Amino acid sequence: MQTQSSRWLGHGIYLVIMAILISGVYFAGQKIDYTWHWERLWPYIINTESHDIVAVTDGTAVVDASGRLSITPDYGDDPQIIERYDTLVSRNGDLIFQGDTVARIDGWRFGPIAEGLWVTIKISFISLIFAVLLGVMFGLMRVAHGQVWRNLAVTYVEVIRGTPLLVQIFIVYFFIGTVFDLDRFTAGVAALSIFTGAYVAEIVRAGIQSVPVGQMEAARSLGMNYVQAMAYVIMPQAIKRTLPPLAGQFINLIKDSSLVSVISITDLTKAGREVVSGSFAPFEVWFTVAALYLVVTGGLSLVIQRLEKRLSASD
Amino acid sequence: MIDHLTQPDSQILIKANKVNKIFPNGCHALKDVSLDIQRGEVVVIIGPSGSGKSTFLRTLNQLESISSGNILLDQVDLTDTRTDINAVRTEVGMVFQSFNLFPHKTALGNVMLAPMKVLNQSKEEAKQGARDLLYRVGLADRMNNYPSRLSGGQQQRVAIARSLAMKPKALLFDEPTSALDPEMVGEVLDVMKELAREGMTMVVVTHEMGFAREVADRVVFMEEGELVLEETPERFFHSEHPRLQRFLGQVL
Ligand SMILES: Nc1ncnc2c1ncn2[C@@H]1O[C@H](COP(=O)(O)OP(=O)(O)O)[C@@H](O)[C@H]1O
Ligand SMILES: [Mg+2]
Repeated sequence: MQTQSSRWLGHGIYLVIMAILISGVYFAGQKIDYTWHWERLWPYIINTESHDIVAVTDGTAVVDASGRLSITPDYGDDPQIIERYDTLVSRNGDLIFQGDTVARIDGWRFGPIAEGLWVTIKISFISLIFAVLLGVMFGLMRVAHGQVWRNLAVTYVEVIRGTPLLVQIFIVYFFIGTVFDLDRFTAGVAALSIFTGAYVAEIVRAGIQSVPVGQMEAARSLGMNYVQAMAYVIMPQAIKRTLPPLAGQFINLIKDSSLVSVISITDLTKAGREVVSGSFAPFEVWFTVAALYLVVTGGLSLVIQRLEKRLSASD
Repeated sequence: MIDHLTQPDSQILIKANKVNKIFPNGCHALKDVSLDIQRGEVVVIIGPSGSGKSTFLRTLNQLESISSGNILLDQVDLTDTRTDINAVRTEVGMVFQSFNLFPHKTALGNVMLAPMKVLNQSKEEAKQGARDLLYRVGLADRMNNYPSRLSGGQQQRVAIARSLAMKPKALLFDEPTSALDPEMVGEVLDVMKELAREGMTMVVVTHEMGFAREVADRVVFMEEGELVLEETPERFFHSEHPRLQRFLGQVL
């Protein structure tokens, strides 16, 4: 049994060690010949500069009495009407060429890093849902009575766990993606779901097998069929036991999603790579990208911890 | 006392006929076991560990399939592939040595689950039935407790209520008091005695000789997969049968 004071002492020593580590990193950063420009990063996260509205064709600018701007094209087409702008760049009657800035809108937009983060969250979340569906399906097949089901499930799990995710992404994108005409995003989601699903299947199998056989017997002896017993008795208990390993697997999924950048999906990692070349601030960018991954994985951990708490009501 | 020789056949609820069970590993656990159980009868099965008592009980609701012979429940052949085994199991309840309550459900939830899912009762109907049953087994004040918060004796009484909720024609008990602390054995046996008085057909595997003497209509002795002896309690406990004598000498 740990005493209160030794716990506080432990926390204190931990803080000292962390302070040494962080100052070590800080002084290492000072020593190398590198000027830190954290401020350069902002536009890549949230862009507060006003952005330009450009003309889509050659034509003439028309500003009517109510201030509405439209561009009458030289040849036939309907005019380009710009309803909303904050500052006018062109004046009434100006000749406009395609690509000219005609007006500006103030206000902020998301920069590439924020957009990459959004793509990472989106691709991870959608893959997570499909991974759970696949995992539960194959996990159930793995413990089913029919030998065919069990063989199929074992094959899936072994093939997927035995090959690198990167290779799977290429196969899904270039082969399956070509056969079924998938776009990048769908191919990325498919590869991540299939990969994670195999691990989830193993976790689900272990969870089901950790429920004592007496539970199935009690359920069956009350007249429930196999499916009812699974749904109302076995799975609710299995899920509770699988939450901690599932949390780990979901966190892996979020991190693994960085690999989809190889098929040109602009996720957080790919956005990071692009921003590095534009901003000349590689250290700041990668520290920021790492921190953003931590926020997402940490958030997920928190959600699952809450869920675990709720399910432990019967303990 | 029911004299089964003069009763018509329909009085027989469960009829086991030359049942053999050979496990895949070659263990011959039941050897030509035949036993008729009348409606409303209490049959107690005793015998040494490993004699096949549990196996026999489990064949009666087909938790265990049989290798040969047949078992009729209310004249329905359980070994017939056309028999709906889930329907059969709703008619034969089972109470286990280790209770096997559903740990993620409260006492009430444990009793309500099967009536709702299998008998398609409404939630209110199932709840009312579960309340009544838990009241009957003396757990009116424990309805909302999870099994982890109940003593062994309380858990076993919930398990009995859970089986009763399916309104079975017979109840099978596999050493229902063997996992209990001695001071809790009585409360479970009392519930079982009450059920017997109300006319429930019961097959009970137990080492509680007092229960056998007091409640049983017939006592059955099994050894090494064979049904050795089948007698009324008075005759049973005065039997000179050498194998029974040897067993009773060990346990008493
Ligand atoms: N699932 C099984 N597989 C193989 N052998 C079994 C199995 N279950 C029970 N047995 C064997 O069958 C015999 C009877 O067991 P059981 O019915 O549990 O005896 P009892 O309940 O009288 O103690 C024992 O020899 C036991 O080892
Ligand atoms: Mg036994």
